[in-house]
Amino acid sequence: MSLVNYAAREITCKIVYYGPGRSGKTSNLHYVYNQVPGDRRGSMVSLATQTDRTLFFDFLPLDLGTISGFTTRLQLYTVPGQVYYATTRKLVLQGADGVVFVADSQRRQIEENVESMQDLHANLAEQGVDARNVPLVIQYNKQDLPRELIMDVSELDDILNFRGVPFHAGDALRGTGVFETLRSISELVLRRLSGAAAPRVAVGQ
Amino acid sequence: MMTAVESWIEEPLMTFINDSRVRIAVLLESSGRVLAQHGFTRSIDVMSACALAAAIHASAAEIGRQLDGTPFKTMHHPGRERQIFLGELATGHGAHILLTVFDDATSIGLVRLYFAELSRRLAGAAAATSSAPPTLVDFESDLNRNLAKLFGRI
Repeated sequence: MSLVNYAAREITCKIVYYGPGRSGKTSNLHYVYNQVPGDRRGSMVSLATQTDRTLFFDFLPLDLGTISGFTTRLQLYTVPGQVYYATTRKLVLQGADGVVFVADSQRRQIEENVESMQDLHANLAEQGVDARNVPLVIQYNKQDLPRELIMDVSELDDILNFRGVPFHAGDALRGTGVFETLRSISELVLRRLSGAAAPRVAVGQ
Repeated sequence: MMTAVESWIEEPLMTFINDSRVRIAVLLESSGRVLAQHGFTRSIDVMSACALAAAIHASAAEIGRQLDGTPFKTMHHPGRERQIFLGELATGHGAHILLTVFDDATSIGLVRLYFAELSRRLAGAAAATSSAPPTLVDFESDLNRNLAKLFGRI
């Protein structure tokens, strides 16, 4: 749940980029990192293998600026997508305020996408969270690849987007859809925070 | 200077910092979010430290479970000039993690001693509660403007 410090008028939200291995989760964060001025972001922490596969998580803290008078910070995480890192995914998903599901648009990856979406819902349920209440945005990444290799957005949406959540076509390496995805999930998270049940206490200095 | 998101943490943590003479102390949730901190200058750096501390704690707990049958709850790393101590606290509001950095102004023995006391104090501290969510009126325009500015689109 989002942390809100009423005294300092600060909001901190945790957003997790989820999805199958090599779908482009880390690429999303890299693009954000490279676009945002240094004074508005922290260091990008990547716990990766020697071949740059995410081992534990990537982490990027972002200072979003002032929203309705609250200094708002986002903590962007990715999870490792490979099937055998299930425990790590659960840990990183803990306390998420919003989830971006990064799907791989390649036709041959559709089963991995479906499995990963099921895995997301199972992990949320295991943590006692009703997945229907968690802000979720889907990004159909790699839409820049040749048409014969990928499924188009409407096909993917029919299969993966059974909740009818916002979605965006993406090419995370070049930044297409990255901004829009982050904007969508931020909006959902803030809307839920503003209109939903009380957040964690926030009465510090 | 110490900053705390939740007021019930302030007094116990400040007492711990003064008594144990640590340089840096951060209390965080197991999900990696900062609840209170002393010693960092940039809030954004605290977030990175907390994300890593939560990861170390989760990994150590799991190794402990697998090797010893019970999760490791504290860790100590003695560096050349500074030392790190990481420990889990059972508060009345769930498990939290304390990350602390200290030098030769104190010792691991004292840090452990006051850590145990901090754990007791936090367990007894009552959390203030707030029933109202923050009022984010017409936040969409602020959000759009700030994100566009961050991404260099305006």
